[in-house]
Amino acid sequence: MRNFTFDRLNDSAINDYQMREQLIQTLKYRFATYGYKQIRTSTFEPYDLYTQVAGTIAPDDMIKVIDPAGKVLVLRPDVTIPITRKIAKEHSDLSGELRYFYVTDVFRQSFEQAPDKERTQAGVEYFGENAPEADAEIIALAIHTLKDLGLENFKIEIGDAGFFKELASQLKLAPETLEQFKQLIQAKNMTGLKQFLDHLYVNPELAAIIKEIPLLYGHPADVLKRAMDIVQNEKIASKLQNLANVFEIIQAYDMEKNIVIDLGLINHMDYYSDIIFQGFVENIGKPILMGGRYNQLADQFGTSIPAIGFACDIDSLLESTNGQEKVYSPPNDVSIFYEKEKQPFGLSIANELRMRGYRVLTFPLNKKMQSPETVYTIRLETEENILRNQEEISKFADLAELLRLLGT
Amino acid sequence: MKEELSLECITLALAKGRTAKGAMNLMNEADIFFSDFHEDSRKLVFHDDEKNIKLIFVKAVDVPTYVEKGAADIGIVGKDNILEDQPDIYELLDLKLGKCQFVVAGLSDQVLENTTNLTVASKYPAVAKKFFQQKGMTIETIKLNGSVELAPLIGLADVIVDIKETGNTLVENGLKVLEEMDDISARLIVNKASFATKTSDIQSFVAKLEAILE
Repeated sequence: MRNFTFDRLNDSAINDYQMREQLIQTLKYRFATYGYKQIRTSTFEPYDLYTQVAGTIAPDDMIKVIDPAGKVLVLRPDVTIPITRKIAKEHSDLSGELRYFYVTDVFRQSFEQAPDKERTQAGVEYFGENAPEADAEIIALAIHTLKDLGLENFKIEIGDAGFFKELASQLKLAPETLEQFKQLIQAKNMTGLKQFLDHLYVNPELAAIIKEIPLLYGHPADVLKRAMDIVQNEKIASKLQNLANVFEIIQAYDMEKNIVIDLGLINHMDYYSDIIFQGFVENIGKPILMGGRYNQLADQFGTSIPAIGFACDIDSLLESTNGQEKVYSPPNDVSIFYEKEKQPFGLSIANELRMRGYRVLTFPLNKKMQSPETVYTIRLETEENILRNQEEISKFADLAELLRLLGT
Repeated sequence: MKEELSLECITLALAKGRTAKGAMNLMNEADIFFSDFHEDSRKLVFHDDEKNIKLIFVKAVDVPTYVEKGAADIGIVGKDNILEDQPDIYELLDLKLGKCQFVVAGLSDQVLENTTNLTVASKYPAVAKKFFQQKGMTIETIKLNGSVELAPLIGLADVIVDIKETGNTLVENGLKVLEEMDDISARLIVNKASFATKTSDIQSFVAKLEAILE
């Protein structure tokens, strides 16, 4: 027999799907309680949409198809970009706020080293408000969601995309050197950073700040104070002040325990403009959640809408909750076994119970089969009708009596 | 039992071989002792005397993988393996152990510039590829796992990219350094999630070693 499996998703166990769906339900429920509404974008998107927006997904990573007219399309490689495009199109001058969430598949040729081509992402986007309150709400929602999944020892690292961008722009680096600089910051490589700066002509004050970046990690109040002491630049100082304001509100949410500041945080998505964050849980090496503020993305679609959001990868979440999440296998509520002559009665009971929200299975009595695990078993025999709930056995004559016995 | 211990303490992946000895000395200087460790022991897992650190011995090339995937919180490994693997980790300290250098070496009449179809043999094909790419040269790499010096001699490759400590091996095989590349030494690397979730344990370990290095 030929083997048709080629990646993890393609080969995942059927039972895992139930756990996966339950996890998605948990997320959806939490998103909804913060007033977010579900949204969906098309699976096929124009290739040009992603090549226009610089610094997002490498063109080689996208899965392309060509439609009969010769137009190049891609399978949705990202969600934030198409949602922003949609919002920008429908609300050319947005005055209020919009809150949306999504649970949808994204497609890439590869996700880092993993061979998977398809990943399910769940995330939220909050459009129209540019304030510490909005930033804090999004981060609080992220923390709340992870707590819902039974995770305890997790941390949300908060940084600011503008912090790195501003410092990098002052260094005036060529693209290759910029990439090298980025890697050194991301690896918190102090030795490397020092050597790197020695090769450049950098004013001592700027060099002092940059060398300090790997150490600007830890408790928010402490890190922000240390950072403010060394930073002279007004633009950067205002970014630090914003982070301090956000942290104050997160304290009001009583969620500061899960927060650390990491001013060396950089997101590979270039559209992030201000606060950025990522969530880490013990024993999973990669972030399980990522997000940030992207105030300029809508500019690409001809309007200006401040926005912030985050996304998490469902499979990473499943991996991280492995063993913590209760295995989801709800027994069905009722199984009905009927004699052939009582088939109409059996099916009408099934129908009535289903209308009342019971999960019902039906079987002809003569079929020899293992009885499935259900809370209630009903046997409709020629002489009598029996309802069985574990050891308790009762008889009933008609539907009304059955409903009374079930307490419905 | 095994699980309980690993929950409490941090796991350190140490590259077997040269680095291990130096790293062990360094930790002893920092008052971190592994009394049950003997050099000729074949055990792969050890605990320090205070039961704060679980030490695992793995092959040097695998250390970045263990740390990136979170199987170990911390790793001590040569920069050569980090450069080859490009893991997404923190590289917090230069332990200044096992200093050596990446070089391009070949027969003395080999020229690098303006050579097309250069064949490069190396244990580090990614490092080699990146180095020549920056020079604007496309090369063919041949991945070898040992005795790399042999490749130019028998015509398997034009040049090699390898680490040079003293240069004796190169000289004895009639090869010469054609170009010097990055300096290499042992580094302390840390998993990003571990750094976030076990911050104080890891920072205190790093601080102890840092104090010795200064």
